[in-house]
Amino acid sequence: MRGWATRKAASAGIVAAALVLSLAGGPAGADDSLIAAGGALAAHGATAERPGCASCHMQNGAGQPDVGIPRLAGLTAQQIATQLGYFADGARQDPAMTTAARLLSPLQRQQAAAYFASLPIPPEPDRLATDAALRARGQDLFRNGDQRTGLIACALCHGATALGVGEFSPRLAGQSAAYVATQLQHWHSGALRDPQGAFMRAEARGMTQDDIDAVAAYVAALGDEETKSP
Amino acid sequence: MKPTLLIGLVAALGLAGSAAWLVGVKPAQMGALVGLGTAPAPFQPRTDDQIPKGPYGDLIRLGEQIFREPGTYAAAYVGNDLRCSNCHLNAGRLAGAAPMWAAYTAYPAYRSKTKKVDTFAERLQGCFDYSMNGTAPPLGDKVLVALETYSYFLAKSLPTGETIPGHGFPALPKPDLPGDYARGGQVYAQNCASCHGAQGQGQSSGGKVVFPPLWGARSYNWGAGMTSIESAASFIRANMPLGLGGSLSVQQAWDVATYMDSQVRPQDPRFDGDVQSTRAKYANTPMSMYGRTVNGVVLGDPATTPPARQNPPAVVTN
Repeated sequence: MRGWATRKAASAGIVAAALVLSLAGGPAGADDSLIAAGGALAAHGATAERPGCASCHMQNGAGQPDVGIPRLAGLTAQQIATQLGYFADGARQDPAMTTAARLLSPLQRQQAAAYFASLPIPPEPDRLATDAALRARGQDLFRNGDQRTGLIACALCHGATALGVGEFSPRLAGQSAAYVATQLQHWHSGALRDPQGAFMRAEARGMTQDDIDAVAAYVAALGDEETKSP
Repeated sequence: MKPTLLIGLVAALGLAGSAAWLVGVKPAQMGALVGLGTAPAPFQPRTDDQIPKGPYGDLIRLGEQIFREPGTYAAAYVGNDLRCSNCHLNAGRLAGAAPMWAAYTAYPAYRSKTKKVDTFAERLQGCFDYSMNGTAPPLGDKVLVALETYSYFLAKSLPTGETIPGHGFPALPKPDLPGDYARGGQVYAQNCASCHGAQGQGQSSGGKVVFPPLWGARSYNWGAGMTSIESAASFIRANMPLGLGGSLSVQQAWDVATYMDSQVRPQDPRFDGDVQSTRAKYANTPMSMYGRTVNGVVLGDPATTPPARQNPPAVVTN
């Protein structure tokens, strides 16, 4: 018994060390300065001529769900920084974000990412109402997949309540339905979207427009209550 | 998806060298490569909105809840961090991932593992003893009745006594080279570790395990069917990585299954006090690494092996 317990402790130590190494900002002080600088970038932009991130994504990171501008609060710094890098080097295309990301240095991208990742999930007082039957269909697809199209249940990677898993899969709960639907349409069309897009392109391949709308409506409506339940 | 796109996908995964087997795949065949076995159109199990009202429907729902979250809804019988739905994907609905609708119609059946005819409920008990590293609920326990009811609901209209297309995991050809631990470790690092962790420890979200631990104290024990390298390779090739089933080559599937099933995991609950004697009785096959020495450790050695039956102390649930 002692032998295996020792091995277990050693293994846990390796995991803990890996976790420490993966924290991008290092000591808390360095994180705080990244966040502060990122907050200023969000408010004022990288140059005087350009608007800050907040002009679209809002200073509280809520985005503009109705028009498909994604919420950034709730994502990890690594997820945001990675996507900013893809926009900057052309691996992911978007008219607004390609321009915006190219104005930022790698350090500024890290700062913006650290800032938005530090924000709490903002309240959503004016969420668009969606059809209950559509959300129910979305829940079924999200939890159970679809035998007819070979869809693997979304929950298997994003978690049962769509909170995302580590750096592997982003949080979807409460994300803009219009944004989620647009991304699924990109993947459905066969686009890779970004270098990590192989999983989602395979997922979206067999989805119909109705499936996409249903899943998007379902995850967007997942709020605090749903994500707390078992 | 057009063949050219598929090849692009494989190339994007850094697997271009092993893409030759995919050339010429027609769109209609994609399903077979993505976890649907070799079947024509797979059976369509019932959906949640078809669950009826009343006590029967309530038990179906409970069965589905247990299936998704056994650690919550069947806690007294579960000794690790796995869920039924980790291997029986899409909550037991997906063809090629041991769907419960096909399993339901396959029992009673003689099993070499138990050397007797097992009912479906007895087969479910085996999952708790081995895959869940717990203790089987007694026959008639509400947990078993609920799981059986859920499976029956999914299987509605299927014939009994016939081999149902999509059952189990799709048969996998033998590899060109014997499965290899070192090559498997590389396959694991490149394709599996981002979800299951570098140490096979799994990954959680919101306090719940989403990607299951593949070895170690919180995974399946040495009595589980998944300790067969062949079973693991078949599952992996058809279903892993999630959504990209069929993207690993046959050789890669065998190699990574060899790697996964050569790790330390909880003891076989049938352990008789001697590893080689236990292997001779219950794991006497080239597909099991139990009792073999890997990295200087005899797999199953009590000194390095977490105990079996790690479920909480038994409580009466009904």
